[in-house]
Amino acid sequence: MSIQAGLGISTDKDSLKAVREAALQARQRLDGNASPNVAIVFSSIEFAHLTMLKTISSMFGHIDVLGCSTTAVLCNQGVFRHAVAVLLLNMSPDTYYTTGSITDIKYKTAIKAGEEFGEKLLAGLKSARRDLGIIFSDGLIDKSSNLIYGMQERLGTSFPVVGALAMDNLRYSKTFVYYNQSVESDAACGLILGGGVNFGLGIRHGWKPLGKPRYITRASGNIAYEIDDIPAATVYEDYLDCDIKELRLELRRIGTFYPIGIYLQGEEEYLLRNITDIGEDGSLILQGNIPENSQIRLMIGTKETCFTAAEQAVHEAKEALSVKTGACPRIKFALVFDSISRYMLLGRDAEKEVEAVKRAVGPGVPVIGLYTYGEQGPLKSIDYHGKVYLHNQTISVLLVGE
Amino acid sequence: MDNEILVNILWLAFAAMALTLLILYLKKNEKINSLQSAVINLKTTLEEMDEQAKLIVRTDIALNKTQEELDKKLTGLYALQRLSRAISTTLEEKHIFRKIELSHLEDLGFEKACAFLWNAESGEFVPYLYIGYMEDEIDYIIADLAEKRDFYLDLIGRQKTLSSISLQRELGSLEMSKAFHANSFVISPIMPKEGDKGFIFVGAGADMPLTEGDEEFIILLANQVSQALDNARLFEHTWMAQQNLERKVEERTQELSQALEEVKIISKRKTDFISAVSHELRTPLTSVKGYAAILIEEKLGALPPAVKERLEKINRHSDELVRMVNDLLDISRIEAGKTIMRLVPQDIQELSASVADLISIQCKEKEIELLTEIPEALPKVMADRSQIERVLINLLGNAVKFTPRQGKIIIRISEEHGRVKVDIQDSGIGMPPEALERIFDEFYRVDNEINQHVKGTGLGLSLVKHIVEAHQGRIWVTSTQGKGSTFSFTLPKIN
Repeated sequence: MSIQAGLGISTDKDSLKAVREAALQARQRLDGNASPNVAIVFSSIEFAHLTMLKTISSMFGHIDVLGCSTTAVLCNQGVFRHAVAVLLLNMSPDTYYTTGSITDIKYKTAIKAGEEFGEKLLAGLKSARRDLGIIFSDGLIDKSSNLIYGMQERLGTSFPVVGALAMDNLRYSKTFVYYNQSVESDAACGLILGGGVNFGLGIRHGWKPLGKPRYITRASGNIAYEIDDIPAATVYEDYLDCDIKELRLELRRIGTFYPIGIYLQGEEEYLLRNITDIGEDGSLILQGNIPENSQIRLMIGTKETCFTAAEQAVHEAKEALSVKTGACPRIKFALVFDSISRYMLLGRDAEKEVEAVKRAVGPGVPVIGLYTYGEQGPLKSIDYHGKVYLHNQTISVLLVGE
Repeated sequence: MDNEILVNILWLAFAAMALTLLILYLKKNEKINSLQSAVINLKTTLEEMDEQAKLIVRTDIALNKTQEELDKKLTGLYALQRLSRAISTTLEEKHIFRKIELSHLEDLGFEKACAFLWNAESGEFVPYLYIGYMEDEIDYIIADLAEKRDFYLDLIGRQKTLSSISLQRELGSLEMSKAFHANSFVISPIMPKEGDKGFIFVGAGADMPLTEGDEEFIILLANQVSQALDNARLFEHTWMAQQNLERKVEERTQELSQALEEVKIISKRKTDFISAVSHELRTPLTSVKGYAAILIEEKLGALPPAVKERLEKINRHSDELVRMVNDLLDISRIEAGKTIMRLVPQDIQELSASVADLISIQCKEKEIELLTEIPEALPKVMADRSQIERVLINLLGNAVKFTPRQGKIIIRISEEHGRVKVDIQDSGIGMPPEALERIFDEFYRVDNEINQHVKGTGLGLSLVKHIVEAHQGRIWVTSTQGKGSTFSFTLPKIN
């Protein structure tokens, strides 16, 4: 079983030239004469056209294309606001893989769409042993946690899936998912790998709890109505010394820098939930689900804790990769899903995270990634049996080795 | 009895037990109280910790804002620096605006921009830049600019920068936001010193609030663009001027080449004509002179004195004519390259001394002092002896002719810039400045008293010039009227 990978990136303003340049670079870097089976494409929003995907198809013939839009692309060369990055993969015949997509999530509801998505992916894989799922979904769908729950109904709760929520240019208006020759919103696409793929995954955020523990006393889905029996937003008003009106004005900053952390037994880090809106009744609308009676803390992050978390995430991924053989095998490529909150917090230092990943994986290993509105990945502790959750503020590093 | 003792013992045991229980109860109670107190303390600490957390969060948010602002400023400055470098090396108007890219705008905290220059001739604002706008949006903006043209011209005229901050309380802000599809904006005039002026507009959405610093950055950008436009226009102007000049020089060169060719043709015709005419003249002149000589010698019989006198005049004039014809023939030969200069090493010192001897008789007649200033060691020159003798005789003859009695003539020879220079200086009547330019022309004679009385052909100096130039030398004259003249010529020396 082996996977060859080649990476290309372009910042050319002409979208056609850019995708051509990136794809050609990727092709040249693919070992030997291997022809690519799968292309993973991340691009800034201005490249999100059908022509981009058609160009790739026309260049490589039959190829499965997956990816999504983002605000900035990460790769070995750094962080690029206006770019298109293409990772070409060549799977050996003993590597099983299947791809699939789902559209009209809103209409179908996230949970039903997730189930359908899971079924489609399973159908493609037939009886082969499945190892890992990689998914990309619209970053602005409501109750995005439910998409995962739906998938778990079909793929099993402990099946490892790593995913990214697509982004736009921070306008929160429309994000796009790329699948073969379609560019869709309100959609998701994914890839399942099987046949003994050796991979390691590390997910960390680095945000630390602050203040006293509190409890979600009334919640439903992704809405926290009350914390310690008072309207949930009151806690933030109290912490930040501002009224609800000011809170709404600063919501993006507050929701990103000071999210809610859900305490999970046995987990090293809290599960974070960004605040996306404040209800008229003082409830907090969160990006992911929050269970009633959860113990929560207000969370705070700094640049230093962010860098440490990035190092820890890639270290964890390397350790996981080494479990099979006892030593770290040759890494074929690294896929990084980095929360946009980290980009906002790190500002001009954002590239240092990429540097940390590059340092850990070593020279010559293709590193490709994107900034996301949310990340999906499994929890680590035995209590949760590797169940996949929606995360916020994390950096997820997936390493695929020999 | 035994029962009584037993009862007493039981009582005692009961009492002891009760006492123990009491003690235990009291101790337990004490512990509960202590734990309750610890819980209260813990709660207080937790509350205090929570209060500290609030302080931390509030400080952190303030710090984050400051950090963000600083980051934005730094990024903006870097963007301006990059832009400045790109713009300042651009020398074409349209290209200046093309250097402004979306990434620059984003680094400056904006997401769209457009720039227009007012074209006075067509009476409209011409778009030079638009980023983040669709073409139909630009059409809409152009229409709006045409409608409110006076407002924007006034803005340019007053060189005023406006922004959504400075216009916050005015209606204009809302109108401008609507016209340019941007909630936050800065509009700053582009004011080159010459040529079309205009403005640059940069805008952002509602979630990208402006700060005072943003306005300053855009003013800097507009100034940078203005400066670059000035440079580009100046360059274009200079370039065009240079092109014109080059074209004119080429045209003139062509004209001059044509004229030179014509002059050469005419000059050749003249030389050919003179040569032909001179040859034709010489034969009858020889006959005239021959017959005159026979008559004067009275070989054909005695002549009356009046006839003899007339014949002598004929003879003299014939001699002059022969000289003139010979000179003309020499000139035309040299011009046509027909005269071969027999260039051999010559001792200029000895050559000039022998000519000086020849001329000394005439000097004595007029009591003219003839001096020589010739250094002992002089290199030899490449010259045709007979031709250079003609030059010296001609120049010295002229010097004697135009120097009054008791005057002075100096023959000076020196070595200069790798050549031998000969000066014939006299204390004669000199020449007016206008004569200096023409003195070597054929048939030119200076209009002075001496020339009016003494006859001459006006060909001597022309011949001299031709001879010197045929030796690769140069001849010139300096003169002060009333004080004298110096004729100088050079000859190549032998190393």
